Amino acid sequence: MIAFAPLDSSAQGDPERGKVVAYTCTGCHGIPFYKNIYPTYSVPKLGGQNQEYLISALKAYREGTRRHATMQAQAATLSDQDILDVTAYFVSIGENES
Amino acid sequence: MNRLTLLTGIIVASIISLTLSSPVHAAGGDYRRGLEKSQVCQSCHGRTGNESLQPSYPRLAGQHKDYLVHALKSYRDGSRQNAVMAGFAGSLSDQDIADLAAWYSRQKGLQDLKVD
Repeated sequence: MIAFAPLDSSAQGDPERGKVVAYTCTGCHGIPFYKNIYPTYSVPKLGGQNQEYLISALKAYREGTRRHATMQAQAATLSDQDILDVTAYFVSIGENES
Repeated sequence: MNRLTLLTGIIVASIISLTLSSPVHAAGGDYRRGLEKSQVCQSCHGRTGNESLQPSYPRLAGQHKDYLVHALKSYRDGSRQNAVMAGFAGSLSDQDIADLAAWYSRQKGLQDLKVD
């Protein structure tokens, strides 16, 4: 199912393992139009997003330079390898559809 | 024509008029104006929001409209920090933000995660 097309960026990661890491993420990001409570807005779509952007976002949450209580708590549990793998999985969703 | 028919006609005409004009004046934003206002955005994010100049820049195409509004307002008020985006978002009005979000959110692109 998942094609291992070479990424044109330096970022890599294992999308198969990333899918396991992503289980928790789907609790919010896997439900269409799921809303952040306050302020109220739809949680962002991640499928097909650029990997380097996702990596920088997760690391910013982990370091606390980007602030969101739930995302900071989630990102704090992720290792660098987890971040590589989970973002590789998010990217792969876009590749499968197109 | 009796009064009831006339009244019904006026109401129907009003509804049609409101429906036709709503894309232009809706608080939800006007995607056509969004396209016009997106010239600066396009230089990094592309016309549809799928053509990122660098992989560290996010795709915008198909992203939820209200998330894009939240992101731009967060850059504008400084609660989300990014030197480049702070400069651009700082000059946008609420209407500009609504219009830009309307344009990029209606493009085909990003998807929700699937739950197996």
